Amino acid sequence: MTATTIVGQDAAAPPRGGGRIKYHRWIFHIAAALVAILFLAPIFWVVAAGFRLPSEALQPLPPWPTEGFSFDSYVRLENYGQSILHYTMNSAIVSVGTALLTIGVAVPAGYSFSRYHFPLKGLVFVLILSTIMIPFQSILTPLFLLLAKMGLQNTLLGLILIYTTLQLPFSVFMMRNAFDAVPKEIEEAARIDGVKGIRMLVQVMGRLVLPGIVTVGLFAFLNAWNEFLAALVLLTDQDKFTLPVLMTAVRYGRYGSVDWGAVQAGVTIMMIPCLILFLILQRSYIRGLTAGAVK
Amino acid sequence: MNRIGDNATVTAGLSLKRVHKSFGSIEVLKDINLNIKGGEFVVFVGPSGCGKSTLLRLIAGLEEVTAGEIIISGRDVTDTDPSRRGIAMVFQSYALYPHMSVAENMGFSLKVARRPKDELRRKVEKAAGTLRLTDYLDRRPGQLSGGQRQRVAIGRAIVRDPDVFLFDEPLSNLDAELRVEMRIEIARLHRELGNTMVYVTHDQTEAMTLADKIVVLRAGRIEQVGTREELYDDPDNIFVAGFIGSPKMNFFSARLDGGEIEIGGHRLPGPAVKTLSKGEITLGVRPEHLRLAEKGEPFFPFRVKFAEFLGGATYLYGDVGDGALCTIASDRKTQAKAGTELRVMADPKFMTAFDDKGVRVR
Repeated sequence: MTATTIVGQDAAAPPRGGGRIKYHRWIFHIAAALVAILFLAPIFWVVAAGFRLPSEALQPLPPWPTEGFSFDSYVRLENYGQSILHYTMNSAIVSVGTALLTIGVAVPAGYSFSRYHFPLKGLVFVLILSTIMIPFQSILTPLFLLLAKMGLQNTLLGLILIYTTLQLPFSVFMMRNAFDAVPKEIEEAARIDGVKGIRMLVQVMGRLVLPGIVTVGLFAFLNAWNEFLAALVLLTDQDKFTLPVLMTAVRYGRYGSVDWGAVQAGVTIMMIPCLILFLILQRSYIRGLTAGAVK
Repeated sequence: MNRIGDNATVTAGLSLKRVHKSFGSIEVLKDINLNIKGGEFVVFVGPSGCGKSTLLRLIAGLEEVTAGEIIISGRDVTDTDPSRRGIAMVFQSYALYPHMSVAENMGFSLKVARRPKDELRRKVEKAAGTLRLTDYLDRRPGQLSGGQRQRVAIGRAIVRDPDVFLFDEPLSNLDAELRVEMRIEIARLHRELGNTMVYVTHDQTEAMTLADKIVVLRAGRIEQVGTREELYDDPDNIFVAGFIGSPKMNFFSARLDGGEIEIGGHRLPGPAVKTLSKGEITLGVRPEHLRLAEKGEPFFPFRVKFAEFLGGATYLYGDVGDGALCTIASDRKTQAKAGTELRVMADPKFMTAFDDKGVRVR
C-alpha cells in the first residue's frame, strides 16, 4: 500500500505496520459493516417474515419466526386468485414490454439527438427533459381517460404504454449521452467501409453504446416491475393484476386482519428477478451510468 | 459497381475541379483545382485551420462539396457514397471498432460487401503480413499499442484495395520515435503498393520526407503545388518560403537597386530580378545559405544572441542591423559567443525576393 511505503520512508514516522494505519482500517471495516447491516436488515426481515407460522403471520412483530418454520404463507399466496406464476407473468410481460419499447424508442431518438441536425433540436430536447418535472400523479386522470378512449384500460398493453412514456425522457437523455461519447471517426470509418442506415445502428453503434442500452433497459424494467399507482388505477380485472397490486389485494386476511406473512412472501418473490437482473448486468450498468462523465 | 476489389494494378488518378466548400456562411475552401497522377504520393500541408483536412474529407465523401467536381480514376464521384468511391481512409484517432478483433476490424468492409469468407481471410492475412500484425489478429484494439493500432488502421485500408489512400494526420498521435518509424513504413507501403496516396499533415518534415508532390494550403486556398525541391528552392510566395524548411527562411526588408541590394545601410550583390529594378522588397535567405564574409567581401552585420550546438550542425540565432531576427545554420566547428558581431553574406543565387504583398518577384 502506498500509505505504508510513504510512512516507511519517513524516518520520523511511527514504525511500519504500527498502530495508526491498522486502527484506521478497523474503523473503516466496522463502519462499512454497520452501513451494510442497515441496508440489509429490512431485506432480512422481509425474507424471514415469510417463513413464520400461520398463527404468527397476522402479527406485524416480531418479523421473524419464533415458534417454527413454515412455507404456509407461500401456500396462501399461491392460492389467492390465479396462481402466483400467473401474476408474475403479468408483471414480467409489462416490465419486459416496457424495457423493450423504451429501448426501441430511446436508442433511435438518442442517436438522432446526438448525430443529426434539425430545426429546434435544442428546444425539443429541453422540452423532452422538462417532462421529468411534471408529477406523474397529476397526469394520471387524463392518461386514464386517454387510454379509455383508445380501449386500452384494463389491458397490460395500456400499462406498458404509460410506463414507457414515463421512462422515455430519462432514457432519451441517457442514450444521447451514450452516443455522444462515441467518436465520430468510428462512424465515418464505418461509412467508408460501406455501412449504412439501420446496419450502422445495429452492427457498429449499437455495440458501442451497449452499456447505455443496458442501463436504460434495466431502469425501465425495474420501474415497471415496482410501479404501483398507475397499475392500481388502470387495472380493475383481478386476472390482470401485476405483483404490486396483488400485494395489496392479498394482504386482507379474515375479518379485516392483515396477512403479513403472505405479503412478505410476495415481496420476497418480487425481489428475486430484480436481484438476478441487477447482478448479471451490474458491470455494464455501472459503465453506462458513468459513460461520458470522464473522457 | 462496387470498386472494392481487383484493381490494384490500375493506378488511378484524382482530380479536383473548382471545388468550393462552405459551412454556413464561412467559406473554408475556395476554388480548389488539383490534378494528381495515378501512383503519386501527394501531401496536403498547411497551418491548422487552412482547410486541408476538410479537403481530404471532401475527397472521401464524408462532407459534400458546395460546388465543383471530384474525379477519381476518371469517374465523377462528386455525389457518390464514400464506400463506392474507391478510397480508403486512415484517421488520426485510428477509429478502430473497439468491439472487434484486429482481423475483424481489417475485414469488416469485405464482410459488409458480403464477399466470400476465404477471400476475406486471404486478404486480411496478406495485409497483416505486410504490416507485421500476424501475431495480433485475435486481439482487440484496446490491447494494442498506439503504433500497432495505427498499423491496424492502415491494414483496414489496404484490405479495401482502394484506388486512392487517404491519410488524415495519421502520425500525430504517436511519439516522436514511433512517428519516424511509421513514416518509413508508410513510404515503404507506397513503394510496394504503388497506389495513389493523399496525406494530410501540418508537419512539414513529414511532407518533405514522404511526398512526390506537396500541396501547400493556407486559408482555404492552394498557395503552391510542386515537388519538395521546387517548393524549397523556388517558392512562389513568402508564406510557402517561410512554411517549408526548418529552421525557417530568414526575411529581411531590403532595397533593390539595380543588381544590388541594401540591407541596413550595407550594399551587397542582389538576386537576379527581371521584373523589378528598383524598390523595397523582402529578401529571403535560407539559414544554411548565410555564411561568414571573407576579407574584402561585401557583408551585413549579424549580432549573435545565442548558439545551439546540435552535433552535426550549429545554429546561430541573432539579429541583423535593423533588428530583424536571423538564423544561421553553420557547421559544427563554428563557435560564437553571445554578443559577438559577425560579418555575414549570401550568394545572390540563393536569395529570393518578394514584393510588398509577399508574392515572389523573379
